[in-house]
Amino acid sequence: MTRRSVIRRLVRHPSGLIPASWLTLLVFAAVFGDWITPYDPNEADFLALFEGPSFRHPFGTDELGRDTLSRLIDATSVALLAGVQAVGIGLALGVPIGLAVGYLGGWWDRIAMRIVDAIFSLPGLILAFAIVAVLGPGITNAMFAVGFLFSLRFIRLTRGSVLSTREEPFIEAARLSGAPTIRVLRSYLLPNIAGPLIIQVSISFAAVLLIEAGLSFLGLGVQPPNATWGTMLREARLNQSQSGWLPWPPGLAITLTVLAFNTLGDRLRDVLAEDPASSPPVVPPAEFAPVRPAASVDSDTTGVSGEAFEAVYSLSDALLQVRHLDIEVPTAVGPALAVRDLSFDVSAGDVVALVGESGSGKTLSATAIAGLLPRQVNIVGRSSILFKGDELVGSTDDELRSIRGAHLSMIFQDPMSSLNPSLTIGYQLAEPLRSHLGMNKAQARDHAAELLSRVGIPNPRNRLADYPHQFSGGMAQRVMISIALAAEPDLLIADEPTTALDVTTQKQVLELLVQASEESGMAMLFITHDLGVVAEIADRAVVMYAGQAIETGEVFETFANPRHPYTRALLGSVPLVDKAQKKLVTIPGRVASPSDNSPGCRFVDRCSVSVARCSEAPPPLLSLPSAGRIVRCINPNGSPDGSPTVSSS
Amino acid sequence: MYQPQRESRWESYRELVLTTASEALLFVDDVTVEFHRGHFARRRPVVRAVSAATIEIGKGQAFGLVGESGSGKTTLGRCVLGQQKPTHGSISISGKELSTLKARDFRATVQAVFQNPIASLNPAMSVGEIIAEPLRRLNGMKDRVEMRQRSEELLDQVQLPSRILDRRPASLSGGMAQRVSIARALAPHPSLIVLDEAVSALDVATQAQVINLLADLRDDTGVSYLFIAHDLAVVRHLCDEVAVMKLGEIVEHGNSETICGSPKHRYTQALLQAVPVPDPTVRRLRHRHTTSTAVET
Amino acid sequence: MGRTVAYRLVAALPLLVLVSILAFALVHLMPGSASETILGDGANPEAVAELDRALGLDKPLVTQYFTWAGNALSGDFGTSPLTGRSVTDTLTERIPVTLSVAIAGLTVAVLLGIPTGIWAALRYGRWMDRMLSLVTATGLAVPNFWIGILLAYWVGVRTKWLPAVGYTPFAEDPVEWVKSLILPGIALGIGSAAVIARQMRGGLLEVLDRPYIRTARSKGMSFRRVVVVHALKNAFTPVATVLGFQVSVMLGGAVVVEQVFGIPGIGGQLIRAVIEQDIPVIQGVVMFTAVVVIVVNIVIDLSYAAFDPRVRVQ
Repeated sequence: MTRRSVIRRLVRHPSGLIPASWLTLLVFAAVFGDWITPYDPNEADFLALFEGPSFRHPFGTDELGRDTLSRLIDATSVALLAGVQAVGIGLALGVPIGLAVGYLGGWWDRIAMRIVDAIFSLPGLILAFAIVAVLGPGITNAMFAVGFLFSLRFIRLTRGSVLSTREEPFIEAARLSGAPTIRVLRSYLLPNIAGPLIIQVSISFAAVLLIEAGLSFLGLGVQPPNATWGTMLREARLNQSQSGWLPWPPGLAITLTVLAFNTLGDRLRDVLAEDPASSPPVVPPAEFAPVRPAASVDSDTTGVSGEAFEAVYSLSDALLQVRHLDIEVPTAVGPALAVRDLSFDVSAGDVVALVGESGSGKTLSATAIAGLLPRQVNIVGRSSILFKGDELVGSTDDELRSIRGAHLSMIFQDPMSSLNPSLTIGYQLAEPLRSHLGMNKAQARDHAAELLSRVGIPNPRNRLADYPHQFSGGMAQRVMISIALAAEPDLLIADEPTTALDVTTQKQVLELLVQASEESGMAMLFITHDLGVVAEIADRAVVMYAGQAIETGEVFETFANPRHPYTRALLGSVPLVDKAQKKLVTIPGRVASPSDNSPGCRFVDRCSVSVARCSEAPPPLLSLPSAGRIVRCINPNGSPDGSPTVSSS
Repeated sequence: MYQPQRESRWESYRELVLTTASEALLFVDDVTVEFHRGHFARRRPVVRAVSAATIEIGKGQAFGLVGESGSGKTTLGRCVLGQQKPTHGSISISGKELSTLKARDFRATVQAVFQNPIASLNPAMSVGEIIAEPLRRLNGMKDRVEMRQRSEELLDQVQLPSRILDRRPASLSGGMAQRVSIARALAPHPSLIVLDEAVSALDVATQAQVINLLADLRDDTGVSYLFIAHDLAVVRHLCDEVAVMKLGEIVEHGNSETICGSPKHRYTQALLQAVPVPDPTVRRLRHRHTTSTAVET
Repeated sequence: MGRTVAYRLVAALPLLVLVSILAFALVHLMPGSASETILGDGANPEAVAELDRALGLDKPLVTQYFTWAGNALSGDFGTSPLTGRSVTDTLTERIPVTLSVAIAGLTVAVLLGIPTGIWAALRYGRWMDRMLSLVTATGLAVPNFWIGILLAYWVGVRTKWLPAVGYTPFAEDPVEWVKSLILPGIALGIGSAAVIARQMRGGLLEVLDRPYIRTARSKGMSFRRVVVVHALKNAFTPVATVLGFQVSVMLGGAVVVEQVFGIPGIGGQLIRAVIEQDIPVIQGVVMFTAVVVIVVNIVIDLSYAAFDPRVRVQ
């Protein structure tokens, strides 16, 4: 992100614009204070003591009849200068030390951080007192003390960011490229930790203002008669019995300014987080399809040829029937459809694979079926998900809850993070048993042990008391499976359950899943990117591309005779372990983004057999007579004329 | 503690290698890496990440190092890159002991590409600056026009358009970013590139592009690869020779067609057995739903 | 448990030594020697040297440090050259008052902060969440002494519901003790309440996005159960860290708030000591706060085990 675009985005939102305006006003007051104060801030007027707000004195007068507004304006420069001093010292000391110890590591780091942590854990104010005691009262000394203390914040922050950035492979790559250490620090580390540092500067300004006000309030900072917000409060407290109004103007000035710095810091964090890599806003790359702003997409225009579709789907009595599923996700350019018009069936006892590359929408679809979509991701359009005849779309969380776990379970990619780290395995396993099967504690424990032994965990009774971190990845996935199977569901949704595992472990887990499904007649919806896994376990495959199902069919048929150009290319691109291959088939270009609403086929830019017609209108869903094959292509045979010849094979 | 069994055939393999090692590009001789865990107060037993590994890579050869997580393959790769000092044994490049090489010469000879494509590129630099870094530091290039020209050549070699020189890594796709990394690694004309899981984070279609690219580059430039991966299929496709690692030890070593075709070691056999094959007609886990319900276990 | 405590205590020793060196160094960092300060400007050099000898200031620094540290260990921080009183006596008299104020502030912070944070997290993105985030942002920005001034005036002086100034020791009258601490507690606690609320909200939201929460939901657990059993416990660990840090903030803040409410804690003494460069008092206070901070951090460390089994096993 360029500096200008950061500032533009910062003030686009009121939470950035308001504090920025307030601080600009303060800087103006600090610079031009002498010209704009209506009165001399230190001039007493004994005829106008303790006046409330009036036309003559908008914020009233104090115990010496001095104009409060003038004193407030006069104090601005002291407050801001104090901030600049302290934060400047903090940065100048903290960043180089933090960079050095973070990058050097080892004993340097350990000793430095011990000292920093030790000082940091003590109350800052009391340390500031100690330093002021040595140097003597006065604002410059006080700010030196505060600056020194704040350098600790910057050391910690810089060092922490360096430590997390240092392990990034691009730092390793920099060393491989021969960049000397100084250059690595300056050009590789520093720019990448600038964001957090700027945020910290803003927040530190706020904290310095509070401390400066506190020290001045106690009489250790700015000395009278000079006005600062802190000394004004000090005087206000002494004269409170005369005037309840006096504490308000300086108090509000401090609060608003601190609030402004904090809010600006927060807003800055949001802006930088919108684009963590701090790169320029994504310009549509010329070689790819142009990104268009998302308009509301009418599902009907994605063209389901009614007849062909009905032929396969109308009389379905499948366990799970997904129809016209549209899922909307938020993107930088507004909401976009990440899943478009997805329809498929899972019959009782079937293993159906939802297969696709990243960005195909397979995981979103699976999560949607279980009703576990993240915040801000919504099912839209005329979507329907029928499970055992019940419509899940639009059901309340309470209604879904009686289905989840009991009739429909789910397992996930990373077993370790999918188990609650602070609860025992036994507890997590007993939960569904007690709530869905109504077991009591003892029954649940016995049954849990049995479930664990069924998924091949040795010594199950003793392992019930263990926590997830005491299991290996493969074992943890077995535990997840036993939890999912606990209430004997009719459908298991498995979202890339073996992707994080080694191949030998993967094989065992797949065996376990296949065995479980065959023993109990449980159906499985298996989400994977691995065509090998699909071939190993699935009965039917739904191949997804850019949010759409582009080919659906029985696995043997689909692999032997893929009809969609994408399926064909995908199968050709997989390296094989059991055969020697020539060149792998490649698919040029890049997956269409969810916000790309071009009228034609979503694969057209990458397709090797596309014709002009492909980019004009969405391809129809064609049903082929053989074994429930459905293809979203006008040319399912790859014949060059592009006519929808449908033949049985 | 895990005690490696030193089988006699590996001694003989080492002896065999020793006779040819003078011509080899990379010679990893009997390398062992041990880690000490914990601080001095609570010292835990030594972990042997690599034990007595010997490999030899010839000029223009693609050598695959295969193993599951914890097999020590990445640690061995780090040794070759000079990022990890072997506890025992030596590594030499073109007959010169690694520790005797000057840093700059070593970097210009051995380069690397890592797993995570986007994270391997400095988000604060443009593609052009990233590629220019080794040109300036390792090739001593100073002229801007010359650097730009060479960068464009390198991009062309990895089949990227030269207009992406001004782009930031965040706006690249995974496949493009990985090609930029490859271009960066190719810049100093290295003799060996260590590819540590360089294609495993990519989608199948993109992976195929990068694998083809790597194969072409080797044919064109004669660079050697040490290809570290968990995926046997990818290794078979790209490499001439394979070493299979398990718990720090090289358990089997040889021509990749032979190893994938008729593995000798039990572990290699198990590994090959476990790789899912994208062909339902040879599937082992689930039989056709309608015909059989029996399971092989 | 006992071993863990012992280990933590040993691990805290370097911190204590470091702080003691810093505290000891204060005397020597000051322009002019302690004897000059005591005897005042224009004292004759022989008298200064005499006093130096009497105070042991002529010995090598290391010897001086060990003498000082040894005395400090036995609870003797020397005598204030200003008042002539033993620092230890002043501390034992004043510290309980300051601790009372700090605890009052912490109580307010926890009682206000934790429920607010949970409430805001569960109403994420809605009207109430935005409202509360504005409130906590303001809470972070208000100086505690300003709130103190306003409370003392509007609640103390105007309505007379609670005492505006002064302090009643617990031993004298527990009810009055509590009453005298309510306003200082609020003034002191509001800022930390905001910090805790924000951490609680952020932590809970982060935990609610974790995969294991999805697992719990996929098992069909009720919303209430997901939050209470699966999320809260994991969200508390970072809150405990923040809480430990807030104890330190409270100790510093108490010094200021005491001034507003005219409470005879250590604050007044400390401020006078800073102005008059009465170093032994400052040394005593610094060492004392270091000990409190160390103890609190050990308690916090131990509490992690209650929230996170991974810590327990190590």
